Amino acid sequence: MRRLYFLMAALVTLLSALGYFYARKGKEPGVKKTYSLNEALGGSAAEGFKRAEGARRFSFPADHGPHDGFRNEWWYFTGNLTGASGRRFGYQLTFFRSALTPHPVKRESAWGTNEVFMAHFAVTDVEGKRFRFGERFSRAALGLAGAGGRPLVVRLEDWSVLETAAKPWSVKLTAADGDMAIDLDLASLKPVILNGEGGLSRKSAASGNASYYYSIPRLATSGTIRIGRDAFKVSGISWLDREWSTSALDKDLAGWDWFALHLADGSDIMYYQLRRQDGGSDPFSAGTLVGADGSYRHLKREEVRLEPLRRWTSPKSGASYPSGWRMKIPSQGIDIEAAPLLADQELAAGFRYWEGAVEVRGSTGGSGYLEMTGY
Amino acid sequence: MILWRAGVRNVLRHPWLTVLAVLGVALGVAVVTAVDHANQAAQRAFQIAAETVAGRATHQIVGGPSGLPEQLFRTIKVNLRFRAAAPVVTGNLQLAGQPGRTFQLIGVDPFSESPIRSFSSRFTDKEILPKLMGRPGTVLMLRRSATELGLARGQSLAVDVAGARRQLILAGYIEPPDEVSGVALASVLVSDIATAQEILNSTGRLSRIDLVLPEGREGENVLRQLGAVLPPEAGIVPAGARAGAMEKMTRAFRLNLTALSLLALVVGMFLIYNTMTFSVIRRRRLIGMLRALGVSRREIFLMICAEALLIGATGTVAGLFCGEILGSELTRLVTRTINDLYFVMEVRRVPMLPLALWKGALLGVGATLVAAVPAALEATSAPPRAVLSRSLIEARHRKLVPLATLGGVLLMLAGCGLFLYRQGGVAGGFVGLFAVIVGYTLLVPAALLAFSRALRPAMGKLAGSIGKMAARGVAVSLSRTGVATAALVVAVSAGIGVGIMVGGFRLTVQNWLANWLQADVYLTSADKSGGRYRPPLNPALVQRLSSLPGTAGFTLSRRVSLEGAGGATELFSVSVPEATFARYPFKEGNPKAAWKSFQEGYSVLVSEPYSYRHRVRIGDRVELRTRYGMKQFPVSAIIYDYGTDTGIVIMSRRGYLENFNDPSVDGMSFTAGPGQRVAALMQQIRERAGEERINVISNAELRRATVEIFDRTFAITSVLRILTMLVAFVGVLSALMAMQVERARELAVLRAVGLTPGQVWGVVCGETFLIGLIGGVLSLPLGILQALVLIYVVNLRSFGWTMQLSIDPAYLLQAMLLSVSAALLAGIYPSLRIARTSPALALKEED
Repeated sequence: MRRLYFLMAALVTLLSALGYFYARKGKEPGVKKTYSLNEALGGSAAEGFKRAEGARRFSFPADHGPHDGFRNEWWYFTGNLTGASGRRFGYQLTFFRSALTPHPVKRESAWGTNEVFMAHFAVTDVEGKRFRFGERFSRAALGLAGAGGRPLVVRLEDWSVLETAAKPWSVKLTAADGDMAIDLDLASLKPVILNGEGGLSRKSAASGNASYYYSIPRLATSGTIRIGRDAFKVSGISWLDREWSTSALDKDLAGWDWFALHLADGSDIMYYQLRRQDGGSDPFSAGTLVGADGSYRHLKREEVRLEPLRRWTSPKSGASYPSGWRMKIPSQGIDIEAAPLLADQELAAGFRYWEGAVEVRGSTGGSGYLEMTGY
Repeated sequence: MILWRAGVRNVLRHPWLTVLAVLGVALGVAVVTAVDHANQAAQRAFQIAAETVAGRATHQIVGGPSGLPEQLFRTIKVNLRFRAAAPVVTGNLQLAGQPGRTFQLIGVDPFSESPIRSFSSRFTDKEILPKLMGRPGTVLMLRRSATELGLARGQSLAVDVAGARRQLILAGYIEPPDEVSGVALASVLVSDIATAQEILNSTGRLSRIDLVLPEGREGENVLRQLGAVLPPEAGIVPAGARAGAMEKMTRAFRLNLTALSLLALVVGMFLIYNTMTFSVIRRRRLIGMLRALGVSRREIFLMICAEALLIGATGTVAGLFCGEILGSELTRLVTRTINDLYFVMEVRRVPMLPLALWKGALLGVGATLVAAVPAALEATSAPPRAVLSRSLIEARHRKLVPLATLGGVLLMLAGCGLFLYRQGGVAGGFVGLFAVIVGYTLLVPAALLAFSRALRPAMGKLAGSIGKMAARGVAVSLSRTGVATAALVVAVSAGIGVGIMVGGFRLTVQNWLANWLQADVYLTSADKSGGRYRPPLNPALVQRLSSLPGTAGFTLSRRVSLEGAGGATELFSVSVPEATFARYPFKEGNPKAAWKSFQEGYSVLVSEPYSYRHRVRIGDRVELRTRYGMKQFPVSAIIYDYGTDTGIVIMSRRGYLENFNDPSVDGMSFTAGPGQRVAALMQQIRERAGEERINVISNAELRRATVEIFDRTFAITSVLRILTMLVAFVGVLSALMAMQVERARELAVLRAVGLTPGQVWGVVCGETFLIGLIGGVLSLPLGILQALVLIYVVNLRSFGWTMQLSIDPAYLLQAMLLSVSAALLAGIYPSLRIARTSPALALKEED
């Protein structure tokens, strides 16, 4: 009988060994965190790049073009447009240039480049209550993306900014993604304004942690917006922001809130609040006040009071954003509210932020764009 | 319970016999499992590698021999606004100093990747992308592969690629999205597309463009739009087509291995059948008594089946273990063969597949049960009293002999019928082969009787009455000897058949090489990472070597793979003089008639396997994607080629230059002029080559190397052959041992009547020798028959190769030796036992 047990035991051992083959198969190592392109693009070290240090002589149209040697640069178009039937739209078309290394490396391959472009394109359809956006990346090679030339061309695949006239400086914006498209002609209504100290916009006390920053606050805009099968003839006002730098946000900053407002009296306000991790606003928050005649002056943080109103929680990301801001500039007798035309204007892209068309109400009317990051 | 204990006791009482039976099952299962595993591992490795690398791509744009112009990608993305497109530049490279370690370099544009692949659009840390794009020569690999190679991030690795040594820098790791991709990516390097173009010398070109097309009408629309912008040499193929074509390419090869492995199992089955029959017969008294006591037939049947199950299960589990170990070794052999014959692939760490395990387990246990059923039936079908009588069994067996013979003849005829039925394909060929083998084994008992009768006088002359007794013994215990001999015949003949087939094949290849390789010196790039395809030679070098003084002539050749919807076509283009052409190994067609149109590039030659696979005859047309789009070329002749069973199309260099936008050359051959020595010519070539990494080889060396590859290819066949023989050896050993152990009482009687231990030894060994001899002789015709079937049915249907039959007597002699020595060895243990025990004790012992 013992022999039988022994045999049975041997059989059981062998069978369990067979089971081991299967058990071994199912094991997988834990998947490690990986980074998307967006995150990976911020990975190049700052050493060797030029920095925004000290005053610079701006020269146009050259400065509309790219600035080699800086790590980041962008062309930022936003605007509020109205269709013939009064249907309101907002749009954003932004091109970001990122250099991976300070200097281009000589490569045999035409694909070789140290520059990468990213672009965001969004359309707010107020009446249709829908916000659409698209994101693209491409290397600045092989005619897939790039910026430069006279007249200026900034492009990423089939999204582009083309300079159409030098005086007034005019451009054509073209972009299409999914079921939305724009084809807009923009012409400057005001001259270039230099933000910060003559165009040097400091982001912290550290030298070089700053950007060169200019805007064209008003560009007359007309053209077509296509949503699905419908094409709308639209007109309105756009804003161009241009910034280049090698800086990064300070560690203790959580994000920023940026306003570009066209007021009914013809004046414009640009203001950005750098938000600290503790929720307070950073002393380096600043802005520019532009008169109807194009004259402008710097806005210090102390002059501007900002107060978030209401909250909106994104169903996609779960992030909670202020839904409207109250802005007071007592020295100018300004007390306004910037209210989103649509609560959901979140770009749930690789880098997530809220950027959308707002209506200005209060001491004066108007419209504009609001950008909120770090929520 | 008593019944069960009786069963278990029976198993344990003769441990050696049980161990041998278990070993037989284990070996059979191990071989089948291992081959199955190797086949599946190779196939799966290729499949998951193809799938992982293709990602979610539904289609691929493929081009001519040098790929696609890179501007096509811009046209698709910017002009057509089609976004789900990703350019790929890919090629193979070898680690310097590790010629066996091939990596596939995949150059991608990380910004186009996310719709297609996840492993190349996400990064393990933020610094990787800037390095990958900003620094030339940077690559990513799996962390595991890096650890294996002892590489850390930032370190450099030397690789041989396109004839040059390059230093690459490991910029970081690929993070596979899952374990399966991890296996697939083990031999993959990912780089930026610019780096890949630079490393692979293909600036301006893309290997392919991966697409994700929407389904339905929208997809058709996109296809139409894409079609309008493609250059003529480009085409769109479904992404699965490549993997499917690869699968098809190696199917016949894998089927052949499976059939060989099944042969081992069949031999194993004989072994089990023998063991079980023996165990039943030996216990005929016990079974008879049990039946008389009222144990039902069903219970006896179950007991015997349970016994078989125990042996089968133990053997199967042991076999699965051995199978896994053997499997990894066979996987290596299979992979090497696939690399030599078909395409470059690396199989690393493919876990044992559950399917292979289940199949092995099912086959092992199932085969054991099937083999045990006749014995169980025998034990239960007869009336209780009859079971007790041994002579009755033998008589019954003897009566069955004519019936078995008739059945065998019919089965063999049926098998031969299958050979004539061409539509049966490779599988039909094998089924026919198995039918012939099994049919033949049914003839064995009759043959055994005839032989033992015929040999009796000779044995008597040689060894007197002892010899006669031995001869009679073989015939008397036919129920034992018949099966044992049949098992021996199957195994030994398989050895002969496979041996003759491989030998004939080898000879054929040697003869073919003599016709095919006519120049004195051959030159290619030293880079072997592309398998059959070599990277182009430096044009300046070709120029330099084209003006060698003293040579009688030289040729330029190029071997490329043309992608198409039905898989790849191998195109070999060569500039040959008419005299060389005329001596090509033509199978069909007249060299004189074919020459003009071939030379002008109007017609092509196809190899025998190509003609067989694609059913192309002289005058038919072969469609190739040229720079002018799809173009048809008439076939002017069919030539023998044993380089690849996928088949090749041969075109003159003039035709190639005209039809494909590719002036590059990857091979040159030189014929020495009058009075010029080959060694001197080689020296001259090497001198002119300077620093170029090239491979200069003389005709004799190349032939030797080719035959070496051939031998390597058949290494797996030889391994299987040896394994089958091993199973047979174990089978014969156990069958004969069992037979003699069973005869203990009878032999004791012989001792008691006055035979000395030496004389008993003589009877036993005489008997086993006779069985070995008869088995060996009987296996000769079957072996030759198998060789014929393998050559004229299986190989032809599998690969389309005609080969010569050459029967090397060495194989026959070897088989006889194996057969006789196994049989003799089996006689030693029982005769020793008998010699040691006193006859009185043995006589007293009840069985």
